[in-house]
Amino acid sequence: MTDSTESPDLTRRGGLTRLKEGTYGGLFAACAAITLLTTAAIFVTLLSDAVVFFRSISIVEFLTGTNWSPNPAGGGQAFGIIPLLIGTLTVTITAAFISIPIGTLTAIYLSEYATPNARSILKPLLEILAGIPTVVYGYFALVYVTPALKATLFPEMSTFNALAASIMVGIMTIPMVSSISEDAMSAVPDELRQAGYGLGATKFEVSTGIVVPASISGIASSYILAVSRAIGETMIVVVAMGAQARMPEVQQALFGIPFVNPADVLLQSGMTITVAMVQITGGDLTGGTLPYNSMFALGLALFAVTLVMNVISDIIAQRYREEY
Amino acid sequence: MATENPNADGFGEVSRVRGIAFEYLSFGASVFGLVALGVLLVYVAIDAFDLANASPEWLLTYFLTLVVPFIVFCLYSANDRDVTRRALVALGGGLVAVAVLFSAIEALLVPIPRLNWQLAYLFVVAAPVTAYLAYVGSGGRVGAVGFGLLGRLVGGAALGLAVGTLFLVFDSLVWFLAYTLGVLPAVGLYAFGRVRESPRARTAATPVGLVGLTAAVFLRDVIATYPSDLIIYLWTIAVPVAAAGALLVADRRGRVAAAAVGGVPLAAATAGGFLAAGAGLPAPTVLLAIALTGVPTAVYVSRVVDGGEGLAGLGLPLLLAAGAIAGALIVEALGVPAPNPWLDASFLSEAPSRTPSEAGLYPAIVGSVIIIAMVAVLSFALGVGTSVFLEEYTPGTGPLGTLTRILQVNIANLAAVPSVVYGLLGLGLFANLLGLGIGTAVTAALTLSLLILPITIISAQEAIRSVPDDLRRGSDAMGATRWQTTKNVVLPEAMPGILTGTILALGRAIGETAPLIMIGAATTVFRAPDSLFSRFSAMPMQIYTWAGFPQADFRYGVVAAGVITLLIILVGMNGTAILLRNRAERGS
Repeated sequence: MTDSTESPDLTRRGGLTRLKEGTYGGLFAACAAITLLTTAAIFVTLLSDAVVFFRSISIVEFLTGTNWSPNPAGGGQAFGIIPLLIGTLTVTITAAFISIPIGTLTAIYLSEYATPNARSILKPLLEILAGIPTVVYGYFALVYVTPALKATLFPEMSTFNALAASIMVGIMTIPMVSSISEDAMSAVPDELRQAGYGLGATKFEVSTGIVVPASISGIASSYILAVSRAIGETMIVVVAMGAQARMPEVQQALFGIPFVNPADVLLQSGMTITVAMVQITGGDLTGGTLPYNSMFALGLALFAVTLVMNVISDIIAQRYREEY
Repeated sequence: MATENPNADGFGEVSRVRGIAFEYLSFGASVFGLVALGVLLVYVAIDAFDLANASPEWLLTYFLTLVVPFIVFCLYSANDRDVTRRALVALGGGLVAVAVLFSAIEALLVPIPRLNWQLAYLFVVAAPVTAYLAYVGSGGRVGAVGFGLLGRLVGGAALGLAVGTLFLVFDSLVWFLAYTLGVLPAVGLYAFGRVRESPRARTAATPVGLVGLTAAVFLRDVIATYPSDLIIYLWTIAVPVAAAGALLVADRRGRVAAAAVGGVPLAAATAGGFLAAGAGLPAPTVLLAIALTGVPTAVYVSRVVDGGEGLAGLGLPLLLAAGAIAGALIVEALGVPAPNPWLDASFLSEAPSRTPSEAGLYPAIVGSVIIIAMVAVLSFALGVGTSVFLEEYTPGTGPLGTLTRILQVNIANLAAVPSVVYGLLGLGLFANLLGLGIGTAVTAALTLSLLILPITIISAQEAIRSVPDDLRRGSDAMGATRWQTTKNVVLPEAMPGILTGTILALGRAIGETAPLIMIGAATTVFRAPDSLFSRFSAMPMQIYTWAGFPQADFRYGVVAAGVITLLIILVGMNGTAILLRNRAERGS
């Protein structure tokens, strides 16, 4: 930015000034280095304990095991991630069913239909949804949403269930979808819209047939980011979903096609990867035990998944962006 | 139109239904989340203040003594016939509409739990109309003065309480020495250098201050006798704040006004402190709260009186206080049954308990304040340093440019790492490897600082980037070095933006729970922490713990009160950030 400070040095600067310059430059560089160190520290911390864990439990056993019980009262320990994956997927997919359609429609409304006045009010209000502490959302899900659903739609629902938690995760991630998608839609040049109108298209056709396809890369990357946020979400599920790692019951439908009753997964308690991590913290935290190390293995899995998703989202946003 | 020509195969036949339906659908989607959140917030407020048990007479009394005068004040300030008419129509029409609609729903469809039409009216009509009128009223001079005064009173008191809380953990004796030996001489030298235009005195200020601070740490245990805490706070905080207030006023209004602005709050604070000490209250906190409330208020009042506009606005706090007292008296006199709110003074000042009615949030509030104070310092320093490095010190091209891009990508990725993973980092690195202790305040502060660092950096970068390049060029042209340009030109211009971003990020940190669980923060502590290395709890942590209790009184009462406390603090922080940003935008 400030290449011009390398202009000829007209006043001869004393040693003190130069020392001062060097000191401050070094300080700022050190601050910047801390961000790199943080990433490195996350990698090393997760990896070192995860490696210890994988010495006792093989990676295959970890990835294919269907039983998760790190602190059993009587029987043997088991560290299979599959039930946790099912829990996480349940929450993520259900939340996506809420955040993706609502977020996309919101983005379309904000970028195409809303008056500037309405947009200037709605946009900051929507950001509030992402700013509410997640433990508060979890409390809402447990204390208000679950009883309301139980009283109206699903009388057989258990107190801790995946559905209420997923609804709250979905509402929380709406602004993530809407703000990034809206940025992408607003970046579509007006000429394209005018051309659409020139061909006789209605506003609806321009919005859905021109603006959305033209900004599809931004929209897609916003979906991935929202899903990645839902995967890493902890407090809502910890408070509202309970902590029961279990495999859904596979039933036989006609002609022996196996299927899982969605109500069995959604209306009952379950456990996500993040819940499993939080549950282990109830025990010994000084390190060295197998459950302690398993926490880092789970963290590594979580970190890897979210990192990969962010990178993919970045690539989609960068590479498949239509340049106008 | 199109039907006149049936041969055209529907050419020109455009259905408006689909378009209109889509527009309303998308509008509905945009407000869906907000409406859902609004309903939940209404319920949590009802639970926290036990409004479901409030009798209609009680609601009416306070509506008449508190809300109506406030609305009248706003209307007076707005001074707009049109606004007045619309407000009255909304309030009156809303009353009828809500009453009829609510009764109809209750009678025909489903009973609505824990709501009656009076409460529905308050939340659906009265609250939004009042908020709108407050917004309109703040546009007028009277309203601006009233809200400005109210903000200083509330903000000053909150600041005073927060500073008082910090001294529960930080050693007040070290601070006393550091202030007396380091801060005071350094500031004095600097001011002397400014007034006498002596650069040497100004250069000497920093080393003198550092020497004083170091001496303070070493002398802490050498010196045996210290003044009492009350005297220390009076000398190190109340007096300098009062002096600063007096200096602000002295330029424009002369010595008498300056002496009044500095002296009156100082005297009030001293008197309040000693009275509180006599009454057995925490005297230093009372002193700090009065001093930090009084001085900004006095400066503001003096300024308003000087300007001579909107003097009526100064009556707003009195109006509200009188309304509250009148309401209480009427309720008392008529024997109206009052609700028993969960969120009251004892909730904020007592320790947690297994008994719902005795449970309090005090230790958790103290823990949160201490952590947030440390996070604020750490993330601000690191965030500004990194963003200055990225924006001012590295060129866009060459090997350093590549490094900048790597740093940039890295920061973006760090921002997306789940908070629970940061918790693992804190547990593995700070708590166990570095030995800072499991569940201590230091570990929590370091972990949360790293968590919000990417957000702080990104917003600080934006603020620095928005400083016009012309200013930098001008500074360069006068021969300033890079650091001088940064210090004298870039940072002052970007500071409001940086502060706004930092406060918003702190709002994120204050609500984070997952990392605290991971580093082993205590679920419940019964005493406020007294050192940085003692076990602590934080507000969200306590909410999480209580939410797990099965009793209905906890679920629907105590937790709701905790949630409302947390949200009020969040709203206060974010409101401050937005005010800062608006003021900076108006200034430039």
